[in-house]
Amino acid sequence: MANSALNRKFDRIRALEEAGELKPLTGSRALRKMMNNRLAMVGVVIFLIILLSAIFAPLLTAHSPTKIDLRSMLQSPSGEHWFGTDKTGRDVFARVLYGGRVSILVGLGSALLAALIGVGVGCYTGYKGGILDVIALRVSEIFMSFPQIILVLLLVSIAGQSLANLIVIFVLTGWGGMYRLARARMLSLREEEYVQALRSFGISTPMICYKHILPNALGPIMVNITLTTAMFILAEAGLSFLGLGVPLNIPTWGNILNVAKDLRVLQNNWWMWLPVGMVISLFVLSVNFIGDGLRDSTDPSQQG
Amino acid sequence: MLTFIIRRLLIVIPMLLVISFLVYLGLELTPGDAVSHMIDPEAASQMSPAQFEALREALGLNKSFLERYATWVYNMLHGDFGRSLSGGVPISEIFLDRLPATLELSFLALLFSTVIGCSLGTISALKRGTATDSSLTVIGMLGVSIPEFFFGLVSILIFALHLRWLPVGGRLMPGYETFLDRAPHIILPALVLSLMMTAGVMRYSRAAMLDSLSREFIRTARSKGLPEWRINFVHGFRVALTPVVVLIGFRLPTLIGGSVIIEEVFQWPGIGSEFIGAVRGADYPLVMMIALFSVFAVLMASLIVDVLTAIIDPRVRLS
Repeated sequence: MANSALNRKFDRIRALEEAGELKPLTGSRALRKMMNNRLAMVGVVIFLIILLSAIFAPLLTAHSPTKIDLRSMLQSPSGEHWFGTDKTGRDVFARVLYGGRVSILVGLGSALLAALIGVGVGCYTGYKGGILDVIALRVSEIFMSFPQIILVLLLVSIAGQSLANLIVIFVLTGWGGMYRLARARMLSLREEEYVQALRSFGISTPMICYKHILPNALGPIMVNITLTTAMFILAEAGLSFLGLGVPLNIPTWGNILNVAKDLRVLQNNWWMWLPVGMVISLFVLSVNFIGDGLRDSTDPSQQG
Repeated sequence: MLTFIIRRLLIVIPMLLVISFLVYLGLELTPGDAVSHMIDPEAASQMSPAQFEALREALGLNKSFLERYATWVYNMLHGDFGRSLSGGVPISEIFLDRLPATLELSFLALLFSTVIGCSLGTISALKRGTATDSSLTVIGMLGVSIPEFFFGLVSILIFALHLRWLPVGGRLMPGYETFLDRAPHIILPALVLSLMMTAGVMRYSRAAMLDSLSREFIRTARSKGLPEWRINFVHGFRVALTPVVVLIGFRLPTLIGGSVIIEEVFQWPGIGSEFIGAVRGADYPLVMMIALFSVFAVLMASLIVDVLTAIIDPRVRLS
């Protein structure tokens, strides 16, 4: 019975309490809730493992991700090449590690930049209201009425392919969601009494928005940053897989997967695309776990 | 009701006008000039500047920007979407040619994701807090984390290359006329396309079902002594279903976006693979028109969803 298990747990807690062994809880409540969320912690661990092995790639592999070695083409995984080698003899494991650097940079970097712009604009216009608010809202509506990938591809076709272009395009297509979120939070927070008090002290508008109100809206914004990171990493992988994302000479997770478009590679050389696909999935999964944990720990109304 | 629809249209139409204006601006700014695309280079090299000028005049290219935009919109309303750069095929013909394949795929994916997502979400809600519930939640998370094209590749490898149950891709084979003949081709892409949405529907229907199960009419039903299955599936599920059905419209952007990549993976001859081909070939008119078309589809879907919600829930109309 679940009920008696719960009773036993509470009995244990009471016993500890009476023995004086329970210390008063310190630290952030949200952080503690996060630490108790098993899935979120699994997410943090996977995230850190992949992130750190991408950052410290030179320590983990002696191979270069771009060095062509025609004597060791298409080798299957071995002690020397953990994930085998590709058509031009490049070490796939090294490519996955170094590719992770670019892919994570694109995903996380674009999400953070999009948040900076979206939250920066949303906070101010949401608080001020008026004509600026209307303009910002309409502009974001235009961006958001395109399906995301269509807008990204449209902009790629106009701007051309490069790493910097891709980040700019992701930021352009991703700021709308952040802006909406920040604005919605501001609309409800600006009616609070402490804001009126601040205003009556004559504190400047930017100070009120960014220093005093923004921290109260950070929870959902952080959740959105993680989910947007996951979305951008998937988008980069998809675009590079199509050959329309990051230029092919830069190793990224999507560019490594690009070879799997060839059915012969798909069938005969599994090591060239299966491990990297799993790394992408694991990484995105870990980011989603973290996002979910953050949501549960910062927003009690979302728990089910 | 009518005033509500009109009010919504008053928001959608200016939006479409602004976006079409931006798209036209983009078309004007992209390299290439309508004249140089219309005549073949052989003839063009023998034409004098005066002849060029006459041609431009005849095509209305010397009019002001706003006049040209107005003509462009007028033509579009009359079914003339301009021509693709490769081969000069009218874009309306490409749409007519490719759209059925995309609609077929999207419709089936929508159906799969709704049926699978709703049933898994309901099971999850009925068994909340159990191992079934938490493993379904994790599976749902996996569903949104695996890149859909990667999932497509794995399924091609397993079902098409190793087991040889289903074809690798494509849509039509010579001699196969009816939908049933073509069915094996559509199963894999439709299932893969529905994967990401299934997870979303599952999450949503679980929350809706939990909400509906905690209402008072459920307690009433239970106190009447109705069997448990009847309480859950007749009384609870019906209320939970309404928001889930309305959600279908909101899934359209995901569906359009997803079908672009999935069509490419499975060589499905729809609008999505046409779009990617156009982006690769820098066929700007085609790229712009497909993008505009997708915006149109999304705005119309959200309009329909709003109207549906207003029919189901009268409170929406008043706010």
